[in-house]
Amino acid sequence: MFKDPDFGKKLRNQKSLLLLSIPFVIYVLIFCYVPLFGWIMAFQRYKPRDGLFHSQFIGLENFRFLFRNEDFMIDVRNTLMMGIINLVLGTVCPIIFAILLSEFRFTIGKKVVQTISYLPHFLSMIILTGIVYDVLSMENGMMNKFLMTVGFIDKPVQWLAEEKYFWWIVGFANRWKETGWDSIIYLAAITSINPDLYEAASIDGAGRMRRIWHITLPGLKPTILILLIMNVGNVLNVGFELQYLLGNDLVKSVSETIDIYVLNYGIGKGNYAIGTAAGIFKSLVSIILIAIANTTAKAMGEESLY
Amino acid sequence: MKKIKSFAAVVMALTMAIGMAACGNTGNGGSDDKPVKKGDQKTETIKNDEGEDVEVKVFTAFFAVPGNEVDEGNVVQDAIAEKIGAKCDMTWLTGQTAEEAIGVMIAGGEYPDFVDASSGMANMVDAGAFIPIDTLWDNYPNIKNFYTEEQWNAIRAEDGHVYIIPQFGNVWEKDTTCVHNDEAFWIQTRVLKWAGYPKIETLDEYFDVIEKYIEANPTMEDGTPNIGYEILCDDWRYFCLENAPFFLDGYPNDGCCIVDRDTHEAIDYNTTPTAKRYFQKLNEEYKKGIVDPETFTMNYDTYISKLSTGRVCGMVDQHWDFNDGELAIKAAGLDDCTYVPVGITIDKGIEEHWHSNSALDVSNGVGITTSCDDPEAAMQFLNDLLEPEILTLRNWGIEGVNYNKGDDGVFTRTEEMRKNADDQAYINANLCPYAYFPNYTGMDHDGINGCDANHQATEFYESLSDEVKECFDAYGVKTYVELCNPAEENSAWYPMWSYSNALTTDTPEGQVWADMASVKHEYLPKVCIAEDFDSAWEEYLSVYKDKCDVDGILLPAFNKEIQRRIDVAEGK
Repeated sequence: MFKDPDFGKKLRNQKSLLLLSIPFVIYVLIFCYVPLFGWIMAFQRYKPRDGLFHSQFIGLENFRFLFRNEDFMIDVRNTLMMGIINLVLGTVCPIIFAILLSEFRFTIGKKVVQTISYLPHFLSMIILTGIVYDVLSMENGMMNKFLMTVGFIDKPVQWLAEEKYFWWIVGFANRWKETGWDSIIYLAAITSINPDLYEAASIDGAGRMRRIWHITLPGLKPTILILLIMNVGNVLNVGFELQYLLGNDLVKSVSETIDIYVLNYGIGKGNYAIGTAAGIFKSLVSIILIAIANTTAKAMGEESLY
Repeated sequence: MKKIKSFAAVVMALTMAIGMAACGNTGNGGSDDKPVKKGDQKTETIKNDEGEDVEVKVFTAFFAVPGNEVDEGNVVQDAIAEKIGAKCDMTWLTGQTAEEAIGVMIAGGEYPDFVDASSGMANMVDAGAFIPIDTLWDNYPNIKNFYTEEQWNAIRAEDGHVYIIPQFGNVWEKDTTCVHNDEAFWIQTRVLKWAGYPKIETLDEYFDVIEKYIEANPTMEDGTPNIGYEILCDDWRYFCLENAPFFLDGYPNDGCCIVDRDTHEAIDYNTTPTAKRYFQKLNEEYKKGIVDPETFTMNYDTYISKLSTGRVCGMVDQHWDFNDGELAIKAAGLDDCTYVPVGITIDKGIEEHWHSNSALDVSNGVGITTSCDDPEAAMQFLNDLLEPEILTLRNWGIEGVNYNKGDDGVFTRTEEMRKNADDQAYINANLCPYAYFPNYTGMDHDGINGCDANHQATEFYESLSDEVKECFDAYGVKTYVELCNPAEENSAWYPMWSYSNALTTDTPEGQVWADMASVKHEYLPKVCIAEDFDSAWEEYLSVYKDKCDVDGILLPAFNKEIQRRIDVAEGK
């Protein structure tokens, strides 16, 4: 990069842009890089009384404990499964929603639907879980009432007590919250597609479905890929609040994620070292995932992150 | 270019500095090598009776248990502050477990002035977060004399220092309690009234009465369906599900095990025949629909809100745990929906011990933290809170407002005063018992009255609703306590839960104790809702035996502690 003869000139031209980015660089340094210092404790038998500087180093002992710990491996599985469900639904739903919205002719209706779809995004998780809990309730839950009226089931189902439903409940609760919000970026991408293309296609006799398939979707492809790569890196960040708040003893073996494990072991049991080790494991897996996704995209000759 | 470079250098230096400062904080040593700070305590101005401004010291406290925050300008709190020149802003646990809240504090290294860490206590002491009280207490007789020398010795940490003051169960003169604040099978008075106040002695009889009541009264008057039985099993509160078996066998609340009265050996109550029968009963009742189908997915808040509607006929719980729900029932005027305890056992002929005398719990208490700016002033505050005049203010309120004093010195309350004392909004605005600071139970220091309205038999009976009075009269009792057997003399080892509460996963027995909790949390609800009880019970037992070496590690540790306590009591 420094071999670029125009480097100095570019730098001067973009001086204001660079200055603008400084606060964010500082932010990232302080909140993302400085705390990495604490990773040291993952290699120690850490005691708060001794602190980072006086705790005994024990090498990879904490990691060995983790991988031999059955609970942790179950939590890794849960995190991955919910992450994948979230990734798939989180990619497909907003795209479909954005396309449907863009095909909407009636402008006021479109605006209203769009605005309403954003609303759940602004709810805090605790309220969201309260609503999910009520909807799925056995006593007066909307879901049970609806399914019974339709005749799908003849007695109320206890949704939150069955292990087989839990991952899907989390997946769809997340979708309900974020689909509207996530579709914004796709909507923006759709508006940037040249209208002439659509016109030309209609003249050639393409119907609505054809136009979506041959123009809208290819036009969205770069956006979809970039977001997909970024989301792959986030697969393990499937969250904590929803599972923590909706979970109960009956579904414990499917509801606990790595984050909840970190909370229970690190903060709850005062074993900060194990918690940190679990956190490091999560970060490493995320970096590997994002590298794989990026390389695959590149190899396929598509848009990539770096 | 140069500018940017130098700017970057500044940024780097700054981040390094911040980073070092942040890490330096955690690198601090324990309390031993740190001199006790002598700084200035934060102050605040309040208005006294004459409307003049008085400056008082303000402390902060965190109690790792749920509680109600008092309002700003709370009347009794200000009255006490005016007298002793100090007050304390108290915060309570919300939406977290005690371990989490305390864990976050330890990780940050910043504490309020006073902390009761509840189940996070071992970690707090381990992190060196408390200052030793015994190095300061010579000038503060109320604290030093709060316990006897032997009791303090039992409280001392391994290094020989006293870090916490257990605040409960310290009886002045004699125990006078009228309420059963402990665990029991509770039942609504309307159920007993409908059944003609029968004598309920066994688990089967208890559920029998509820079943028949639900059959005859499927809904409340307003049409809300009645719920037969609730089982709370949210986090640490799952004792409502799991620890009834030892009570049903007639043993007192040792919490973590049964202690054989003759051999003094610990017995695991989780796998006894009684435990199997108890869970089988719950399983049957669940299938019959008597147990709320949602019971295992609800959290504590849902539980309290269900109780508050008055729909729930019965449950196992500690009274302090559902007190908020009962206050709400009273506030709603559902006088026949409040609860009374029934002292039941698994079979007839076993003597029950649901009610116990208060015992010194050495595993919990309030301590002064290393973050306190002026520990001397904090000690003074604790000392002043134990003055007789202040004790009366804390426990009874203000004379003429919250109680009246007769010519004979006996405290009484009017109807309105009683109503106020049950009204959560009034309590928050007016009363301030400083509940988690050291306090005496039993008698008031005047030697005439009980320490509060719940410890004053005549006043207590008068303050009951007609429904409860009718129920008491039917059973020929005057207080809640009398509904259970009289408490037996506490054994030397009692309560064993003060030992198990202090276990940490650093020790093998602590690890087994934690694993046990995790297995029971996962399998007991499954056992209760299983279609096929026997196979679910077998599965639970096999996992339990496989994962937790109770016989090999935990029980020997309990036995050692039992023997140690017996030896201490016998002065060995």
